Amino acid sequence: MNNIKSVLIIGASGGLANILCGILSRKYPHLKIIGVDTRHPRVKITTPNFEFIRIKYTRGNFEKIFRERNIDALFHLGRMSHSKSSSQSEVEERLNLNLIGTNKILELALKYQLQKVIILSTHHVYGALSDNPVFIKEDSPLRASIKYPELRDVTEMDSICTNWMWKYKDQLETIVLRPCNIIGPQINNTISQYLRSSIAPMPIDFNPTFQFIHELDMASIICNCLFDVKTGIYNVAPEETITLKEAKELVAHSYVPFPVSILSPVAKIVKKLWTFPDYLIDYIKYPCIIDGRELMRNLPDVELRFTTKQALKLLRL
Amino acid sequence: MFKLFKKDKIENIDNIFNYLADKYGGGTDPWGLNFKRAKKYLNMIFPVFKNYFKVRTFGIENVEDKQYMVVSNHSGQIAIDGLMIGTAFATQVWPPRILRPMVERFFTNLPFINKWASECGSVLGDRDNCQNLLERGESLLIFPEGVRGVAKSTKDFYHVQPFTKGFYRMALKANIEILPVAVVGAEETFPYVYQAKGLAKMLGMPAMPLSANYFPLPSPMDIHIGKPIKVEQSLIDQDPSDKELDEHIEKIQATIQEMLNQGLKNRRNYIFKKRGNKNE
Repeated sequence: MNNIKSVLIIGASGGLANILCGILSRKYPHLKIIGVDTRHPRVKITTPNFEFIRIKYTRGNFEKIFRERNIDALFHLGRMSHSKSSSQSEVEERLNLNLIGTNKILELALKYQLQKVIILSTHHVYGALSDNPVFIKEDSPLRASIKYPELRDVTEMDSICTNWMWKYKDQLETIVLRPCNIIGPQINNTISQYLRSSIAPMPIDFNPTFQFIHELDMASIICNCLFDVKTGIYNVAPEETITLKEAKELVAHSYVPFPVSILSPVAKIVKKLWTFPDYLIDYIKYPCIIDGRELMRNLPDVELRFTTKQALKLLRL
Repeated sequence: MFKLFKKDKIENIDNIFNYLADKYGGGTDPWGLNFKRAKKYLNMIFPVFKNYFKVRTFGIENVEDKQYMVVSNHSGQIAIDGLMIGTAFATQVWPPRILRPMVERFFTNLPFINKWASECGSVLGDRDNCQNLLERGESLLIFPEGVRGVAKSTKDFYHVQPFTKGFYRMALKANIEILPVAVVGAEETFPYVYQAKGLAKMLGMPAMPLSANYFPLPSPMDIHIGKPIKVEQSLIDQDPSDKELDEHIEKIQATIQEMLNQGLKNRRNYIFKKRGNKNE
């Protein structure tokens, strides 16, 4: 594993990937780091061992990179997350990128004999259900798509990666990370938008607990996975939890209290007028608390820099 | 009637809340328990505990400062017995503790009720939850009769229904002592009940009680805490069959039944019987 000399980061323009690129460049100056994305880089990284290439995500383009650049390890942070719209074309694009795209990348990783692949999944795969236990372990069933087919790509992408991991465990080290909610100034995901919004409904009839991890801590953990963590599926989350109400009070100046149990039927009507991600409502009703101890056993010297409250307060800025 | 609304203070309240604050203070735990709110609800429930149901607690000397799996008979159509046991363990026993009652799956789907219950400490009755809580030093309150216990017709009152086996497996895994509890008096909060099982099944409900009253009557309750029972040590770290567990579970069941029988002999009279003595 110490023979890793070059790494490829897919989705390098994303907030988290951008931070990861910076950390890797500084921590491993000998490592050649190539970042790819369809978008322009968010922040220019000027370290000499980093190169950014803007490409269209096609098999041909990836194959060219693998063939010409002698890649030893790969970070797949290019999962397309959910948007407000659940139109047919957006769903298809997401399926195409997340499922078919991921499958192609894994095939190439095997073909070009990479040593390690690290894939960023999400804790959403477990689903937000009323009968979720607290501290869900990695071997729990992935129930995200039971109620909402719109979340099918999330679970299927994770399943593709974990099946691949077991099938080729002798040829390729694969790590699948399922982080809790990642927040930070550079991340603009659904939960961050929800927390910042002063008009998003705040449930008065439910008060689920949440876990948050700061973007810097998450990027550090992904970086550490390169050399210090073996093949496996790992939840990434602190032991600390916080209720949604407490989190909202730390971030937003105000919020709209609302009985969220009537939000679903209302959303179905509203959806006819304008697109609304009703499948995400359950995530503000029911908890999805994951057990992150398995990963931390592999990284005993790693400590999170930011507590949950610190991470949330920084979001307010 | 006015006595019910008299704001009775919990005895030794400062010591109790200081102790509980040290243990549970500082925000909400991962299962939703919020000590500040639980304290508020405890203050609200205590007058009901003391003046409406006039709860007496026996066997306090059997409770030591350690983790337990509290196992009780279940009665009274709605989970009033759980509420009273929880209040007793928080206010009548030293050191006080917030028991974690395990609730049915449908409960966690109920708006407002689920929120309130989890703030007071209740958790989903799930094996993973049970294991995670026990690992973290919590004491659980379990009703192994389940819905069969709480949703009994009048003719079955005070007959302990067969226990499920899951609780004993969890107790074995954690090697934790079982504290048997028997609640006398909760059945008569709804004294004349018929369980319409066919109708319940048709409506997809866990139970459908047809009762003469739908507001719980002030039946005086007694909570009897028995001596702790150690789990069978030879079965720890094994994977015992159901048959191997039956003997031990039936013993616990029989213990609680016996505690109920004794408790019934010493219970106070209540509204549906002759006026009893006032020595409470």
